[in-house]
Amino acid sequence: MTEILRVEGLQKRFGGIVVSDNIHLTIGAGEILGLIGPNGAGKTSLFNLISGVLRPDAGSIFLNGQKIDGAPLYKRARMGIARTWQNMLLFRTMTVLDNMLVGPRDYAGESVTRLAFGRAGVRAAEAAMRARAMGILGRMGLESTASSMVVDLPFGQQKLIGLARTLMNDGPLLLLDEPMAGVEGAAYETMQRVVRQEAASGRAVCVVEHNVSFIRDLCSRAVFMANGKILQDGTVEDLIASATLTELYFGV
Amino acid sequence: MDYLITLAILIAIYVILGASYNLVIGYGGLSTVAHPIFFAIGAYTTGLLSVNVPELPAVVNVLLGMVTAVVASVLLAGSALRVSGDYLLIASLGFQLGLLQLIKNLDFTGGPGGLSAIPSTILGAARGPAFLAITGAAAVACVFIIRAIVNGPYGRAISAMRDEELAFTALGRNAMSMKIAIFAIGCGMAGGAGGIYAYYFQYISPDQFEVLASATILTMVVLGGMGTPFGPVVGAILLLAIPQAITFLQLPPAIMAPTQGIIFTVLVLVFLYLRPAGILGNKARAI
Amino acid sequence: MFEPIILLQILWTGIATSAPFVLLTVGFSLTLKVTGLWNFAQSGQMAIAFYTMFFAMNGLGLPLFAAVGLGVVMTAGSAVLIEIYGLQVFRDRQSGNLMFFIFTLILSEFVIYVITLLFGTEPETLYKSILSPVDIIGGIAVSEWDKTGIGLTILALGALYGFMRYTKEGQFLAAVADNAKLAELYGISAQRAYRVVAVISALFIVAAMYLIGSHGGIVPNSPLELVLSAVIGTLLGGIGRVFAAAWASIFLALIQSFSILFIGSRWQNLLLYGFLFATILLFPRGVRMPRLRLALIGR
Repeated sequence: MTEILRVEGLQKRFGGIVVSDNIHLTIGAGEILGLIGPNGAGKTSLFNLISGVLRPDAGSIFLNGQKIDGAPLYKRARMGIARTWQNMLLFRTMTVLDNMLVGPRDYAGESVTRLAFGRAGVRAAEAAMRARAMGILGRMGLESTASSMVVDLPFGQQKLIGLARTLMNDGPLLLLDEPMAGVEGAAYETMQRVVRQEAASGRAVCVVEHNVSFIRDLCSRAVFMANGKILQDGTVEDLIASATLTELYFGV
Repeated sequence: MDYLITLAILIAIYVILGASYNLVIGYGGLSTVAHPIFFAIGAYTTGLLSVNVPELPAVVNVLLGMVTAVVASVLLAGSALRVSGDYLLIASLGFQLGLLQLIKNLDFTGGPGGLSAIPSTILGAARGPAFLAITGAAAVACVFIIRAIVNGPYGRAISAMRDEELAFTALGRNAMSMKIAIFAIGCGMAGGAGGIYAYYFQYISPDQFEVLASATILTMVVLGGMGTPFGPVVGAILLLAIPQAITFLQLPPAIMAPTQGIIFTVLVLVFLYLRPAGILGNKARAI
Repeated sequence: MFEPIILLQILWTGIATSAPFVLLTVGFSLTLKVTGLWNFAQSGQMAIAFYTMFFAMNGLGLPLFAAVGLGVVMTAGSAVLIEIYGLQVFRDRQSGNLMFFIFTLILSEFVIYVITLLFGTEPETLYKSILSPVDIIGGIAVSEWDKTGIGLTILALGALYGFMRYTKEGQFLAAVADNAKLAELYGISAQRAYRVVAVISALFIVAAMYLIGSHGGIVPNSPLELVLSAVIGTLLGGIGRVFAAAWASIFLALIQSFSILFIGSRWQNLLLYGFLFATILLFPRGVRMPRLRLALIGR
């Protein structure tokens, strides 16, 4: 299995709180890694460190074997780190399709010079992007929402659109932050299917999720975090079977 | 007739100022009050070049005025936005006051008395109509260029940035350079308007570019409808034309000027209370 | 030229001249600290303060105390009205920074136009003569005006300090300045605090306008320049640091006074803006005066 992401000795503290304590982690192509742990364990912080929202105090991050420590958030997205957000952060004043069209890693149409000197090229690029966006929406059964304003849609659909927008970035790494929080019913199946398809296409996927059955259905491997540390790395079954972790997290 | 042509030219210049300011604050979401200083930079650059380097053609002078405004705007936005978005408001105010003071205290700018004797460029009876045609065309071009910017893919990116800057950046967009670009385009247009202004009126003075001018342009944008392509056009026409209506009353100047000012300010205050989103704006976009 | 007596004279006059600016800056900076607003409506209030006193003394022939009383009533009254029927309306609508900027500035402009219509654009002074009796104390010329200015400023700052430090109302102001929402959770009314601060700054404005108006001529437009000097002092002192802003205005006045030894008088204003530029670009959170002093002693 080809390694996509490697994290080495990642360290981050805010005042007295350590959110990442010597984190080592590797994710390979086609793998779906579950990231579980209690609230405040440092899961979202780890996503923020990997995607570049936060700067680590120490440690390194490698994407496809290449060190990306110095790259800011937007450059990492262009290198192919795509992520979703717990609270979606959709563009509120825009339609679903327009939200999607801001998603691609690199889009020639969004340039003032192209606006002035390459309108035909922009039209072609725009048409191609629209087709791709409609394709992704189609896979999720959301074509009919394309021209709706995102704020007018029910929560579950907004959640799916958050994922769909991120999928416009076709990079090698996909970070999903609590995709199932607040989602019920049909969206569950859709989310499972789409994430599996993405992994099958060769992407590395990492999912933070409290819904353990979602993780069990989806992931072969999972990591348990608490207090900024990785306590265990193994199969989901192993993690659930572990008495200490059960006590820490599942509160049984 | 001359009076009406001058009024129309002034309206066209303020349409450029309003439209470009609207791009910066209404679409770009960048809080700045210093728009008149870029108007001033354009006007002074063009005016000084035309006085001191008479061999340069007028078009080149106006373009150089625009370029200078762009460079100054990039310097200001580049340093202020690094601190924070809110800080731009304060930094822009300081930049405006400081630069005006500099203009007032230097010899070659004409000091507080202003820069006069800017060559007239176009001579004869056709001067007024010719300037009106040029300024009107520039105003229409600005409004439609801005409309094209905000309607296309670039405009989509601008509104995404305004809605959720973090998500926008995490999708691979450089929000900082985009803000600087929007700021530079808007300020460049204001600089161009300044160049035309200098050539038509042949006289510029620092007082015209003070904080009151900031409030005037901002008011045109808000009153017309911030974040709408034609709002600033409506705002500029209304605010310049209505106070002129009493010119026909033949009042003595000592009463005329403050009365026009009172009409202007009352108009603005009434609108701020009753229709904060402006004439063409929708409620969701009120500032 | 550099004799000690001359330097002392410049120092004294510089400090005395800064008095009204200190008062204006403190009023402006305190308002910014508590309400979070760059309240340009204060320039309108400055105009109201001066022209009320001017009219009371020269039009109605009232004695000084009555004129000042009337000035306080008009200025504080207008400040509270602006707060209740203006600023609070926009706060309730959750308007942005720019809305407050236009509203306060246009309101001031409106006041100034009305005053221009009533009083014209000729410079006016409170007294017929602006000459102030001068004593020579230790070789330095000290005018009555200097003494009034410095005394009034010390009194006002002391009263403000005492008010903020020792009264409940003052502590409420500090709480609202710190976090209005949190203060409201503890039962402190932010609106009340905003009105209190409007009255306090009105008092500072009246005092400052009395000093300025008895020292030189004022035209309806003058307050717009005056409010800018308050903005600069506030920026230099650092936002939310009221007493540092006061020091910054004194410092600026002294720099301007002493610069006369080295450069022409017309460059003095420029120097002021040079400081402003440097502050904006290098010290966005204000120049930290006390720390600066410590650093120098340490060396």
